[in-house]
Amino acid sequence: MIQADKALNPSAAIAEKLAAKQRRDKLERAAFPILAWVSVIGGILLWELVGRSVGSALFLATPSQTWLALVDLWRSGELQHHIWVSGQEFLYGYLIACVAGIVIGLIMASYRSGSALLGPWVSGLYATPIIAVAPLVILWFGIGIWSKIVVVISVVIFPVIINTEAGIRATDRHLIEAIRSFGANQFQIFTKVSLPSALPFILAGLRLGIGRGLIGVVVGELFGARAGVGFMILQAAESFAMPKLFAGVIVLAAAGISLTAACHALESKLVPWNRR
Amino acid sequence: MESALKEQTTQHAAPAKLTIRGVHKQFVDLVALNDVNLDVAEGEFVCVVGPSGCGKTTLLRIVAGLEEADLGNIAIDGKQVKRPGVDRGFVFQSDCLLPWRTVISNALVGLEINGRRNAASRVYTQSLLKLVGLEGFENYYPWQLSGGMRQRVNLARALAINPDVLLMDEPFSALDAQTREIMQTEMLRIWNAGRKTVMFITHQIDEAVYLADRVVVLGRRPGRVKEIVPIEISRPRSLAVKRTPSFIAYVDAIWKMIEHDVRESISEEGDHPKPKRQRDAVE
Repeated sequence: MIQADKALNPSAAIAEKLAAKQRRDKLERAAFPILAWVSVIGGILLWELVGRSVGSALFLATPSQTWLALVDLWRSGELQHHIWVSGQEFLYGYLIACVAGIVIGLIMASYRSGSALLGPWVSGLYATPIIAVAPLVILWFGIGIWSKIVVVISVVIFPVIINTEAGIRATDRHLIEAIRSFGANQFQIFTKVSLPSALPFILAGLRLGIGRGLIGVVVGELFGARAGVGFMILQAAESFAMPKLFAGVIVLAAAGISLTAACHALESKLVPWNRR
Repeated sequence: MESALKEQTTQHAAPAKLTIRGVHKQFVDLVALNDVNLDVAEGEFVCVVGPSGCGKTTLLRIVAGLEEADLGNIAIDGKQVKRPGVDRGFVFQSDCLLPWRTVISNALVGLEINGRRNAASRVYTQSLLKLVGLEGFENYYPWQLSGGMRQRVNLARALAINPDVLLMDEPFSALDAQTREIMQTEMLRIWNAGRKTVMFITHQIDEAVYLADRVVVLGRRPGRVKEIVPIEISRPRSLAVKRTPSFIAYVDAIWKMIEHDVRESISEEGDHPKPKRQRDAVE
């Protein structure tokens, strides 16, 4: 009977097929975020199980121990102090690197001589694991905030310069030509075409700088500091206080994830045309 | 070519809106244009056709001031022009809209550059968007529009500065065949509303015949004016005109004028892509 109906009315069969496909698509769309959560929670559970079976807090802290350590550190105010110190180091270094990096990138993209003079240094230093000279920076600038700021600048500035220059250079020549046909001068071409067109590249450079900057802060503090999240991790490692060490790592991970997410949000707000 | 020159001087005794005199342009290894002369009268629609590599785009770019001629000069209303300016509006082959600007903002960019963006010019631009059939799309972004709609914005942007002469560089060549036909009728409708002086480059003979008052046929190696064909088909022209015997006769006649050049350019492109190289030199 049903078979006969379908034969008589093929559009009903097609509609049913389409509806089935839509249901499948909807299910898949809902399933992927669930899968991601399962992965995260499963990973944490596994970590807890392995930690408990190892049984020694000298080598591995479980998530629950880490959480308790975090709460303790927060209550005592110690954690806030370390975050405050590291946060300042990161913020100043990152901001200086971004401003200087964008300016240098713009100069390199605008003047051939600028590119010739600075280009080899920028690409050379970008490829160098510059973090290796952090001990030297500590030696030069002391164990205060400035040595960390310098380390952060030295690791953040290169992706910013390179992305800014590449972004300006990638400007569609046809767009420049179109604006030129209205009699635009060099400055108008720059502000109305090159700069907005480079914005997605520049923002991507700033986003890449976040992870590198956090590494800079931690490594700088490992080589010499009086406070900071990296300093706290070093202290914890030296006294085999694993829960405290892991607490520090968790703080860094949270900072990296939230700052990168903020950067993504900024990107989709500032460059909505680039979403495709 | 001499007959063409004579014809053009006798036909347009009145001072022309746009004059092209003795324009010569050479690239590294080829003469792109040699002694090109052309007068375009006020309100006239002139189409320039020719095989690839005849320098038709180069000629238009020189008129626009985007490129400099080695010899000769360009004048609008008898006043020599060398650089881009608001007396000429350029419609590009690719749409070239700024992706971060909305339709209305893109259409206003020429006015903005010349410090003429204000409430009145905005109202005027809005009326132009309506004229080109984009009413209601003012706040869309280019990527939300079809190719044909983007070219409408491109046209509105060029018209917004209210130029004396509209320069169009194969504006419909990137569109599919059906959209192109529609855009051609739209072009005539829009042109009829203001009767701007138009210099329109195309490689499609039927497009040229359909749109133009006169078709300028360029030859290649070197690029030069080969012939000027007045199109005596009454306006307004509907698409049905394209199937009339007189229309077909015009297309055939012009095809015969350039057929040899086209074949030559095709056989040369085989060994080394000439138009590409010319393009590189241009940019």
